[in-house]
Amino acid sequence: MNPVVGIAAFVAVSVATAVVGFYGLRISRTTGDFYVASRTVRPWWNASAIGGEYLSAASFLGVAGLVLLSGTDALWFPIGYTAGYLMLLLFVAAPLRRSGAYTIPDFTEVRLDSRAVRRVTSLVVVVVGWLYIVPQLHGAALTIRITTGLPSWVGSVAVVIVVCLTVVAGGMRSITFVQAFQYWLKLTALAVPIVFIALVLAGNGTPALAEANTNPTGLAPTGPYQNISLLVALLFGTLGLPHVLVRFYTNPDGQSARRTTLIVLGLLSVFYLFPTAYGLLGRMFAPGLAQGGRSDALVLLLPGRLIGGPAGDMLSALVVAGAFAAFLSTTSGLVVSLAGVISQDVLGGSVRGFRLAALISATVPLGFAFMTDSLALAGSVGLVFAFTASTICPALLLGIWWRGLTDAGAIAGMVTGGVLCGGALVAGALSGPAASGAAMPQWLAQPAAWTVPAAFAVMVLVSRATKGRVPRTLTKVMTRLHTPERPLATERQGASDR
Amino acid sequence: MTRVKVTAPRSEAKPVMDSRVAAEESDVGQVFVRSLIRSQLRLSLVVAAGFLLILLAFPLMLGLVPGLAEAKIAGLPFGWLLLGAGIYPVIGLSAWLFIRTATRNEARYRDLAEDR
Repeated sequence: MNPVVGIAAFVAVSVATAVVGFYGLRISRTTGDFYVASRTVRPWWNASAIGGEYLSAASFLGVAGLVLLSGTDALWFPIGYTAGYLMLLLFVAAPLRRSGAYTIPDFTEVRLDSRAVRRVTSLVVVVVGWLYIVPQLHGAALTIRITTGLPSWVGSVAVVIVVCLTVVAGGMRSITFVQAFQYWLKLTALAVPIVFIALVLAGNGTPALAEANTNPTGLAPTGPYQNISLLVALLFGTLGLPHVLVRFYTNPDGQSARRTTLIVLGLLSVFYLFPTAYGLLGRMFAPGLAQGGRSDALVLLLPGRLIGGPAGDMLSALVVAGAFAAFLSTTSGLVVSLAGVISQDVLGGSVRGFRLAALISATVPLGFAFMTDSLALAGSVGLVFAFTASTICPALLLGIWWRGLTDAGAIAGMVTGGVLCGGALVAGALSGPAASGAAMPQWLAQPAAWTVPAAFAVMVLVSRATKGRVPRTLTKVMTRLHTPERPLATERQGASDR
Repeated sequence: MTRVKVTAPRSEAKPVMDSRVAAEESDVGQVFVRSLIRSQLRLSLVVAAGFLLILLAFPLMLGLVPGLAEAKIAGLPFGWLLLGAGIYPVIGLSAWLFIRTATRNEARYRDLAEDR
């Protein structure tokens, strides 16, 4: 591929990001603006921003790569990524918004009336955020290497620099605009090339090289245990992701939090049709791309491979731009939510503290990214979901729906889930990417199916054993979580004022 | 012609008594709150269970009916269409049903809480 294409695409996306970020900058002034855009973001903007933030390297590159490798088994990834939002809507969206807290640690502190729970939750949130940024940086490294031939580290470093600049300059308000813009950029960047490719292939009557169900590699298909454990991780992991949850505070009330989630579900459903299409066309017309560990680059390589010439270069530039939008938006969303947590808990919650915390949140994972190897992108993000599902998810679900939860129970459950799932991840990483798949036992490769129930069980049992610690504020907090805001007031005003 | 400036107070009724406070403080209020929480939880669990059943039914159907996964519709294998596109409308429909019913539950709660 022409190296100029990759560089030009990256520069264009970075400049566009900076411009949109600057446009938002003029509005953000106070600490409240910095954290959650003063809760004035409209559902469509907010939903686009959630979509922009959520669709990471795993969705943009990883899903298509896995579909190329494993066919219909890999379709459980996009299904899980989307259905996770359904679970979020069913169990978390409105109550979380009504809790009035800014961050997940805020929520657990308010609900359980305990500083200790807050500290443990903050720690878990920071670990989750860092784990999640690492695959984004791997994706950037891969993209730069494949498209420009530059050394891999250039991609990771460039993403971290752009993210730090936008976050430090604008906070959440400009992030909201940037993210919303990047959802539509990512959708366009995937949709236009694949439609073009499909039309050209149909027009030429190019014969398929292989059937869609032909396995292009010798990899064994995944078994039912792995698929089910993956679904558990994705369904329950989404509702604990810190950068997703922080978005819900930007809704004006619980009802609009629900409406936002419904729009997000629509946006995600449309988006995931395209990585699936790339994987399918890749299987049928370019099965050779599955060889040599390049499958994650399928989306980047397919336009050049099947179209070629200047048109192929143009389409490649578009997908590269979309890929960088994915790394930038997810990383900046994570950095914002991590910086919110770190600055409130360690640095006293000032705007200056937020900026310093943003720098810390972005540079630490860069170190991790240099030290580790890139596994399959969708797979490594899936493991982060497993970790969230085993820690934050039980604390949120039980906190919202069960009066018996105590601070001791929440801490014990989160620590158990974190240690079990973290241990499985470390053991998996130590046995090396070469050993993953065939050599690694399934229960270690996909731990969610047993670590999530274990975390729930410990949380319930310890809470039962420490009944005396149920907070005295319980009735008040549960009422606030579940009752609608200011009865009918919003609709009446809405009708008469506007 | 003289212009008259209308300056009636905006809110004739007392500023909406925060019924959340009322609900927190009275025993009867708590009965309503608890029943609201119960009905919302039941709704969430029913929708989640229904969705998961459909989700499980899809691969079972593909696995158990011979030839179904390979059957072609418009040149594409049915298994790919079902898992790659067919599940998303089910997700959207579940979400829409949930929001409609959850909103109705809340409206019923507000009627009860305000009538007292």
